[in-house]
Amino acid sequence: MDLGLQGKKAIIVGAARGIGLATAEVLAREGCDLAITARSEDGVKDAVAELGKYGGTVVGKACNVKKADDYKAWLDWAIEALGGVDILIPITSAGGGMGSEKYWTNAFEVDVMGPVRAVEAVLPTMQAQKSGSIILIATTSAGEAMGGPQAYNAMKASLVTWGKQLALHHGRDGIRVNVVSPGPVEFEGGNWDMIKGTMEKFYQAQLRQQPTGRLGTPEEIARCIAFLASPAASWCNGAHLVVDGGFTNRTHF
Amino acid sequence: MDVKRKVEISRVNPQDWPHGTPVHKEEDPQLGHDIIPAARYTSEAFMRLEWERVWTKVWLLGGRSDDIPNPGDYICTDIGKESVLIVRQADGSVRAFPNLCLHRGNRLRPEGLGNAEHFRCMYHHWTYDHQGCIIRIPDLDTFPQGGPPGMRLPAYPCDEWGGFVWYSLNPDVEPLAQYLSPIQQHLGPYHAERMAWVRDVTVEWDCNWKASVDAFSETYHVQGIHPQLQWYLDDVNVQIDCYERHSRYLVPFAAISPRVAMPSAIPPAIHEIMVKAGMDPAEYEGSVGDIRRAVQLFKRQHGAAQGRDYSELNDDQLTDDYHYTIFPNVSLNVHADDIMMFRQRPHATDPNKMLYDVWVFELVPEGTPWPARPKHRRFRHGDRSIGQVLDQDAYNLPTVQLGMQSDAFKGLWLSDQELRIRHFHKVLDDYIYGPGGKGPDDI
Repeated sequence: MDLGLQGKKAIIVGAARGIGLATAEVLAREGCDLAITARSEDGVKDAVAELGKYGGTVVGKACNVKKADDYKAWLDWAIEALGGVDILIPITSAGGGMGSEKYWTNAFEVDVMGPVRAVEAVLPTMQAQKSGSIILIATTSAGEAMGGPQAYNAMKASLVTWGKQLALHHGRDGIRVNVVSPGPVEFEGGNWDMIKGTMEKFYQAQLRQQPTGRLGTPEEIARCIAFLASPAASWCNGAHLVVDGGFTNRTHF
Repeated sequence: MDVKRKVEISRVNPQDWPHGTPVHKEEDPQLGHDIIPAARYTSEAFMRLEWERVWTKVWLLGGRSDDIPNPGDYICTDIGKESVLIVRQADGSVRAFPNLCLHRGNRLRPEGLGNAEHFRCMYHHWTYDHQGCIIRIPDLDTFPQGGPPGMRLPAYPCDEWGGFVWYSLNPDVEPLAQYLSPIQQHLGPYHAERMAWVRDVTVEWDCNWKASVDAFSETYHVQGIHPQLQWYLDDVNVQIDCYERHSRYLVPFAAISPRVAMPSAIPPAIHEIMVKAGMDPAEYEGSVGDIRRAVQLFKRQHGAAQGRDYSELNDDQLTDDYHYTIFPNVSLNVHADDIMMFRQRPHATDPNKMLYDVWVFELVPEGTPWPARPKHRRFRHGDRSIGQVLDQDAYNLPTVQLGMQSDAFKGLWLSDQELRIRHFHKVLDDYIYGPGGKGPDDI
């Protein structure tokens, strides 16, 4: 099946590691041109070099999503550098944490306003060209308990609602908006890698809750994101795809 | 070494801290690559040599000075087959003598702390004053030979340094200051006397005392038995320094081991370091790899306002583990806000057993009431948890000790990372066999 991604221009926010990097790799392999960012300059530099081997255009610059002006400038730069934008995947996250009010502002700035500002930035281009695909990344932790009551879970939940409403509102512009909620994903340097090393019992308990007895890989999430982002998923709009190996208990009717 | 990342650890410049704990790297002693014979962990003959030439010759840690503030306060502590009474005198000095009655040999006091107007043996009520002099022998007229010579218990050398009381079974021992050198300059800036007891535990471990000393003398074991600490400390960039008979290593804390990938989220144990320092981890904007320095700067800036005087400590000491071994049996993890130390005592008769004392002290911030002293607890190996990390250390030791007894195991095959173990055994050799006197057939 041809996903129809060849030549598409994609912006990925948070593409230096994990699911973001894996998504960038899948898209690059499928022939997309990419503009990527992350907080770490070295991380972006390494990712750009790595992604360049697939032959497409890959541009990147470090940016802190929390700094709204810098971030907006980066988004404008990315659209200009790519000469347009067909796909937007804002994935960067402030992560979890409890015990400080600051976690709420961090999650709001990064997990919510990160996607909001990116969507605002790409909409004019997508509306003008009457096409575009946006994937928001939520989490299974939005729907089911994980790690205690955290700003992260609640803020991610807001993306599911907002994503659906964006889809309804912009469908007429030819813009599709879908949400992907990954379950626990493990990769070197990721949270679950650290949890495996620092809280082994908790990690093993998570494995026991997994029907397949393991956690997901970034590639397994990235392929689903890439499909939903691609023209091959042209009739998917306003969908919320849970990609978790069957981890969550809820039945989707 | 098996690492995933090359990490440059920043360390303070020795010239910047001329009056504090020395930080310069000593030249490593050339101690060869021979095995450390396993027999010295299991042999009763070697255990006797240790008794004759080490335990009865060196200075030994007796306890904390602040446990005996008033005249008549005493610490009763055992070493091997001996038991020692350390008593605070009316003039503020300390004296030590054997914890026994010269009449029939009965112990005067059980091990532990207390206060006594005088020490009266419960058997026949022979009574001793704070200096160990006999002040009463009931029915003295029925002893035609009179009382024991001098009418007093023999005295053991006893002295104080750094908030701790030390004693020696050797009447001719060198001065304490000379024995401890250069440790005083190293540990003085931490002011252990400003720290209060938070934990006092003795565990009977099923291993030779040296297996325990070894266990705390290298960071090579972190990847094996403390995998979680790789998101807490740098077990690779460790500075080892061997002195005449003591040694140390400096381990960066609030750091990520080069053996694991750098995480983007703050690991739980480092999160705790930040919270303890008074930081809000949610406010932290830097990378995880820069937290160690951020904590140092934060503590330097805010320590005084928190009632914590770090003025004599260098920046590294505000985060890192400066870990010392005071020969033969004291291992100290020294930190700006706490000391976790172990006193490793041989069993009286069995080379396969030991007493593992865990002493933990925490800095009492100025203006904070001095906390109540925790009670001493004692239990058997594995009966109770002594915390995740120490449980992990303890878990291996009985099986190490069993392996030591196998004919198939000749001795310890040591790496450069374990130089302090080699150095410890070299110092031990010099006491046992005389300096450089160890022969090819000696264990």
